[in-house]
Amino acid sequence: MQKKLLAIVVVLIIAVSAVAAWQLVPQTSAREIRIGLVAPISGQPLGQDMSRAAQLAVDEINAAGGIYVAAWGAYAPIKLISIDTVDDSPGNAVTPVKREVESGNVDLLIGGYGSAGTLANEVIAIDNKVPYIITGASNALVTRRGPQGNYGGLSSTDSQAITDADGMSYIFHYCTVTYDYGKTVVDFCNEVMKPMVAPDRDFRLAILYRNDAFGTGVEKATKYWIETENLPIMLIERAYDPKATTYQTDITAIADNNPDAVLIVDNPDKTPTIIKQGLNDVGLKTVYFAVENNQDPTFYSLLGSTGDKQMLEAKSDPFQNPSYLPAIQTYLMNFTEAYDVMPGVNGAVTYDAFFIAKDAIERAGTLDKAAVRDALEATNLPQSLLITKTGRIQFDTGINYHEINALTFMEQLTWNAPMDTLRAQIVWPATAPGISNFKQTDFVLPDNYVAGHP
Amino acid sequence: MDISTIILTLVWGVAIGCVYILLATGLNIIFGVMKLVNFAHGQLLMIGAYLTWTLTVTFGLNAYLAIVFTMPIVAVLGIAVERLTFRRILGTDKLNEIFISLGLIYIFENVALLIWGDRSKQIISPFNNMILDLSSISITYDRVVAVVVVVLALVAFGLLIKKTKIGLAMQATSQKDTAAQLMGVNIEKIYMITFALGAALAACAGGLYGIIFSFNYQIGAMPTIIGFAIIILGGLGSIKGAIVGGLLYGIAEQLATLFLGGIWGSAVAFALLIVVLIVRPKGIFGVKGE
Repeated sequence: MQKKLLAIVVVLIIAVSAVAAWQLVPQTSAREIRIGLVAPISGQPLGQDMSRAAQLAVDEINAAGGIYVAAWGAYAPIKLISIDTVDDSPGNAVTPVKREVESGNVDLLIGGYGSAGTLANEVIAIDNKVPYIITGASNALVTRRGPQGNYGGLSSTDSQAITDADGMSYIFHYCTVTYDYGKTVVDFCNEVMKPMVAPDRDFRLAILYRNDAFGTGVEKATKYWIETENLPIMLIERAYDPKATTYQTDITAIADNNPDAVLIVDNPDKTPTIIKQGLNDVGLKTVYFAVENNQDPTFYSLLGSTGDKQMLEAKSDPFQNPSYLPAIQTYLMNFTEAYDVMPGVNGAVTYDAFFIAKDAIERAGTLDKAAVRDALEATNLPQSLLITKTGRIQFDTGINYHEINALTFMEQLTWNAPMDTLRAQIVWPATAPGISNFKQTDFVLPDNYVAGHP
Repeated sequence: MDISTIILTLVWGVAIGCVYILLATGLNIIFGVMKLVNFAHGQLLMIGAYLTWTLTVTFGLNAYLAIVFTMPIVAVLGIAVERLTFRRILGTDKLNEIFISLGLIYIFENVALLIWGDRSKQIISPFNNMILDLSSISITYDRVVAVVVVVLALVAFGLLIKKTKIGLAMQATSQKDTAAQLMGVNIEKIYMITFALGAALAACAGGLYGIIFSFNYQIGAMPTIIGFAIIILGGLGSIKGAIVGGLLYGIAEQLATLFLGGIWGSAVAFALLIVVLIVRPKGIFGVKGE
């Protein structure tokens, strides 16, 4: 009997001690914070990059204790919910998001790759009022299609317009938009290239673009800025089927119009082929601009030495070492150490978005979606891997609704023969907020460049 | 628009058509002899491109020599596929063939993803960036070599079909398999050889594709669709039809791109297919009943 009593006392002491010890240690988890990554993980190489970057961010945040939720008085880890949109076509991009959102399995969404797929699946977040930080899709309609963004210039009865202002307020755009792409290219052509190649006539810019939401978005934006800024630039337009693999005939048609430069709007697996077919097959010896989503290892490796002196738009360059931003160097090192592959730009932006979400949830002090939405709207963080025009991450509440005013810059590629690699250096603009010596070199025309003519 | 632009467009049409001709020829002999519809044929092209890339990168082989080594490897893979899958359902419902080939698409794509990763690749040939400049027309050496390789492959294939015992047995099996069997032809062996030959041609097409274009594990689908369009246009079971169909497809696509814009290229080429089928349902060189 005495032994039995002693055993009970010992068990009680151990139990009480365990409870006391648990109370003394800061609690790490009331429950997990479920963040859904919306990306074409199985169907697009860039989706893999987004997935790896998201996992890296989650691992780093969780290793540091997680996210503090004041309402729980505790830190909670992030649980990453991978929402695979396969090829990111509108047909495949909606159902996986709908399943996770409508089952209440996500507190917040991050990602969204292609414009067409994202414009389709963000409607689920809008209808269910789930905060969604979009990091890939660049079509400005993503956040401007509601009343706050004046329906992106559409009629409020247009099928793409969203009249639910409250629902739209849950959508945030943490990346460059097609208007940035267009403005950067036309401003660069006007300020830098025109004085060099066409001082006494209009500059002849050709745009060769995918006939989808992404391509037409950039085409519209480019035209918009030429007209709005009344620039002396003549635009030669040509669209192609996104499934096409050969572009010589389109480039031949462009060459017939004698352009001074060609802007190509496609992804990293296609743009190098287009540049190669233009330079080698058609013999159009000009300057080719690749849009910023091409900041990816695939683009560099496929383009190779053909890319010497060609141009790449950029919102972030994760390959520079030493870099213009120390944060990028750290990201590059951690990413390559974790995955043994080079990171791309879509992943870098997605990585940032997790820290923006962390900051917003901590300020909101709760996972209540409206409170998180309000906190996201009040975000005021220093710029990270993506640089902005103000040097800070702040979501616009004006006509550029919930955009961050990213600073898009121009890089010129140089073939480094001894290292057998293509490298990029910033050539424009000269300065960026909070970064000293931003411009790294002057733009030069390619050796075999042939200027256009009327 | 001057005449050189149109000539250049025709050159692109022929150059593009050539790679598809090779793929379509492989599809055609498999259909002609085995009456088998293999939707995973484009995935053999994809595997051919990856193997050629691996041989050039790992062993430093000349890309065109690598294609020669890749062809028998993919032929052996084709034999394995034929013996393990299609042979077991030949003669049963056509739906079985379709579902097996759809399953093979997923298997090949995911295996390629696991082995070679998700990043697009391109095979670097010794003629990389070298351009043949003929005053108003410039074309890369790789395109010219691709046309020559396709012509050589088709001539060799034609000789095999017309001048060898195996070729004659394939023709006999294609015409009436039971009669061929009664004449002592081992039709199971002929099926195996046919599938291997078709796979080898797809591998050759894949190597050339990978030299001219960038590729990833998903590139098989579109060439298969185009390959089927070409053999239907030219006539099911006809090698001559595959060649003419391939050239017609390539030229129609490129002329439509030039005159109507890039978004119309494929649409016009497939519209041509529909028109040919309405006017001549068996295709240009098709045999009645195929």
